[in-house]
Amino acid sequence: MNYVGFVNQELKKALKDKKGVIVFGQNVGTGSCVSGLSRGIEKETGCRVLNTQNSENTLVGAGFGMMRNGVSSIYIMKQLDFLLLGIDQLVNTYNYIRVFKPSASFTILAVVVDNGYQGMQSSLNNLADFCSIARIPGYAITNRRDAEKIIGAHLVSPGFRIIGLSQRLFGRELIDFEQVISCEADGGWLQYTDGADVTIACFNFSIPQGRGLIEALKDKGKEASLFSINSSSPVEWSPIIANACQTGAIVVIDDIKSVNSPSVDLVARARGEEKIRTITHITRDFSSLDWLRPNADELVLNNKNIIHQALK
Amino acid sequence: MKKMNVSEMSEKAANDLLMVRLGQLVVNERYKNGDFKVPIHLALGHEAIAVAVSQTMEPEDQLVLSHRNIHYNLARSGSVKEEIDEYLLKPEGAGGGWLGSMNLSRKSEGVAYTSSILGNNLPVASGMALANKTREKESVVIVVTGDGAMEEGAFYESLTFMKTFGLRVIVIVEDNGWSLASRIHERRCEIDLNQLAKAFGIRHDTMEGNDIARYIETLRDIREWTMDKNEPVIVHVLLTTLGHWTMKTEDYPEGKFINYHAGPAKTVNIGDGPVIENSEADPVFVLKSRLDETEFDKLVKNQLQNLSGELP
Repeated sequence: MNYVGFVNQELKKALKDKKGVIVFGQNVGTGSCVSGLSRGIEKETGCRVLNTQNSENTLVGAGFGMMRNGVSSIYIMKQLDFLLLGIDQLVNTYNYIRVFKPSASFTILAVVVDNGYQGMQSSLNNLADFCSIARIPGYAITNRRDAEKIIGAHLVSPGFRIIGLSQRLFGRELIDFEQVISCEADGGWLQYTDGADVTIACFNFSIPQGRGLIEALKDKGKEASLFSINSSSPVEWSPIIANACQTGAIVVIDDIKSVNSPSVDLVARARGEEKIRTITHITRDFSSLDWLRPNADELVLNNKNIIHQALK
Repeated sequence: MKKMNVSEMSEKAANDLLMVRLGQLVVNERYKNGDFKVPIHLALGHEAIAVAVSQTMEPEDQLVLSHRNIHYNLARSGSVKEEIDEYLLKPEGAGGGWLGSMNLSRKSEGVAYTSSILGNNLPVASGMALANKTREKESVVIVVTGDGAMEEGAFYESLTFMKTFGLRVIVIVEDNGWSLASRIHERRCEIDLNQLAKAFGIRHDTMEGNDIARYIETLRDIREWTMDKNEPVIVHVLLTTLGHWTMKTEDYPEGKFINYHAGPAKTVNIGDGPVIENSEADPVFVLKSRLDETEFDKLVKNQLQNLSGELP
């Protein structure tokens, strides 16, 4: 099964018997149903699916308006960049509505268009940019385990949040892990492997890169602990820091293209620990404007150098 | 013009109109006295439409307001004290001291949401009306905006949304011809709201003259229509914000007209009585001209007695 097929399946599972929920957005009920994301929701869950106009500001505000009047909704957004048009609502309306502790749910499920060659005006890939402005809960989904956890816990629950999906992963085989060793209660982070040599923390949508690094380490006879950091805001880092204190080395991988990221917060925490001998913070190269040209838009790791630096 | 007995024109309407005017004059005196830290946008001259809206609303109806909302809040609650306590950020204030002036709402009086951001409230009202439709509520959402906010994209987006989904929304455009210190012709082209409404296929009504009895009658007809047709309506209300002053500068030795926007209305004094301007632009002047003078004075005296405790 591919990534988008699995997310669609999890959406339908979470929406089963939730007939009062409204699922809305552009093309959610026509054509490809947002590349298959919303396919079959109305038929299989009984939720009301509303195709809408192209008016992101109004659609975000309408989600909050429904929430204000006790109706839960999910706004499926084809491209995270479009959410820039709804920022007033994300900040000003959300700040107002949240004071009254609404019992209804509002979720924006946004596709991060990170599959490359889109041009400089479709370059936004950082959920944290939106979450930070009003301390909005936000979660990135990259694999089977975090999809189950995050969709199950947050898709329809009192309050508001943004859930991000990676367009690059849509058609790819679903990433899966044998087990979840531990996780933050809200799905802010999940740990998939436990190793004695290196701690790897993957932010935003960089879990494929983290998995690649694990394989490269195995080739060297080394074992790593792998964490995905799904939350777009800093969370309680203690379990990850404790793991890094045991391994003595932490590699933080972050594929965002803007500045604001919780990975900086984790690195700062790690710097205060004497037991962590090496801290490697992998981000993109912004030394020229090349990143704005149409390109593959993928964070490429030099695993050999990273391993050398982490284990020195 | 034939003078009326107060019972012929709705004693409640006359009393409410005076209460909203005198309540604002009391707030103005407290404001001039330096009692408030929160910014307040007085609505002197806007009283007739606020009272008419309030008297048109049925128990399940909801009112969605903008930054200039004192007139509606007073008309809905009838409590000047609660309003002043909120401006003083006291726990016993209308919003428990949480909301201040520009975000003041009162759920129990049907004031469901208020925004200080121009155009922000229209999308929220759209969502609320969609929620009401989903829940098959027999109610109308009344959203108040202005000639400045209708320049925002949210206005057009929301009209599209309301019309598309057949929502019971009455959009009140309070048109005072100003946005901050700019007249309409100083900031934009003319927009023919009637023609615009036609383009959307939306009913359009214009109200002017500040005749409270006629306003109530017209709004009741509009409410009945939107309930029957499941359609939005635009109501264009032409009015004047009172409280202007002139300022002499080098460029304007004779004095420049300064439109009242926010803050204390320095040239308006409660000691001068409830009428601010002897013209149709002043709803209280219109009321006075309709009523027998003795009756009018009696109503004013009663209202002032009720408010005496709130003066500085």
